[in-house]
Amino acid sequence: MTVATCVALYSLAVAVLAPRLLLRVTRSGAAPRLGVTVWLAAIGSVVVAWIAAAGFLAAEFVRSLTEPVPIVSACVATLRAVATGESGLALQLGLLMLTGLAALALGVLAWRWGSALLRARRRTHGHAEMARVLGRHVPGLDAVVIDTSDRLAYCAAGRPHTIVVSTATLDALDGPHLDAVLAHERAHLAGRHHLLLAATRGLATVMPRVMLFTAGSAEIARLLEMCADDAATRRHDRNTLLGALLALTGAVTLPSAALGAAGVGVVDRVERLADPPPSGRCARTRLMLTAVLALLLTGPVLTGMLAANDVAVCYPGA
Amino acid sequence: MRGFGELESAVMECVWRVAEVTTVRQVLEQLRQQRDIAYTTVMTTMDNLHRKGWLDREKRGKAFAYWATLSREDYSARLMHEALEDAENPDVVLSRFLERMSGEESARLQHVVRRWSSGQETS
Repeated sequence: MTVATCVALYSLAVAVLAPRLLLRVTRSGAAPRLGVTVWLAAIGSVVVAWIAAAGFLAAEFVRSLTEPVPIVSACVATLRAVATGESGLALQLGLLMLTGLAALALGVLAWRWGSALLRARRRTHGHAEMARVLGRHVPGLDAVVIDTSDRLAYCAAGRPHTIVVSTATLDALDGPHLDAVLAHERAHLAGRHHLLLAATRGLATVMPRVMLFTAGSAEIARLLEMCADDAATRRHDRNTLLGALLALTGAVTLPSAALGAAGVGVVDRVERLADPPPSGRCARTRLMLTAVLALLLTGPVLTGMLAANDVAVCYPGA
Repeated sequence: MRGFGELESAVMECVWRVAEVTTVRQVLEQLRQQRDIAYTTVMTTMDNLHRKGWLDREKRGKAFAYWATLSREDYSARLMHEALEDAENPDVVLSRFLERMSGEESARLQHVVRRWSSGQETS
């Protein structure tokens, strides 16, 4: 049980510490791609740790069946001291219950997450289809046009992916500005940002009390907008994109089923485009993020190895 | 993007324009005014639209009579509602956002706008 306990404690430590640390490191918007990667690594490592803990628990239960008495782990020794006499059976029952509960909890969470993902997919695809049938198809424009006075520009994943702009947006932007906005939207679709958003938002919906998931999904959404900005400014002038962003600040909203041109953290993005973070800060942020990433990747392995060798610090009774 | 859904869009346009029931033949005649298109293409498209829930139909004699399940306005309202709903969503409207923005955020945005517009004038 030592390994399972250590892995569970590891996941707890990551879930509590990572969001606080990462929010501070990724706030500036320097190196947004690396920022997204590290957030995803933190979220992924916690989920994997839960599954691994349940797996170790199950393995321990099976082992306790095959060799009923001599389990030479400090954990068992302590437990046996507490429950004298029938400790072997009590331990087995306890393990069985614990394993069952862990498996049940994980199963329920996975089911809810899966249905949240399917629902998001259905709504988004439905929205894209509705936009394609309702919208005007203008030759040469890589988007469908919806007649409305709201300044809208967003993309919805579907078959095929659809970029939607409103007549008000076309009125507000000239050719180069519109191209920059469309490049931003295409970057969202090409980077499959909708999948990352759906996956992390799904986790945040299923477990709204885990700060790593809620803060993580919001921060990932903000950083993905910056990633799309960066992709757009590779082909278009930074000032053009900034101008388009400011022009659209008239009246923009985004569908829950779609990604928007303007919306998430607009002020942050505007400031970042107007005044890019100095290369020194970018380098520092990259260094910090890489260190966190290395920790996240090696942490579980180290924890497991230490626990397996009974030298884990996370087991005070040892 | 033209091609994907473009024909469906054109067919729905015709159906909505008629307002009452229509047939594949009538839609074909309308479309033929703008493009060269085969009867079977229109039939397949309308069949798809029926399968997707955009059109309803009823057998009348040899052919089907088709009509739109919802008006264009209803669909537009639904699309816009979906596109604009969800205040919980961190994806925000900037116009509303400007009203709701904290004093600090608003000041930050104003600052950038001023600098940006002065930069535009000099360049």
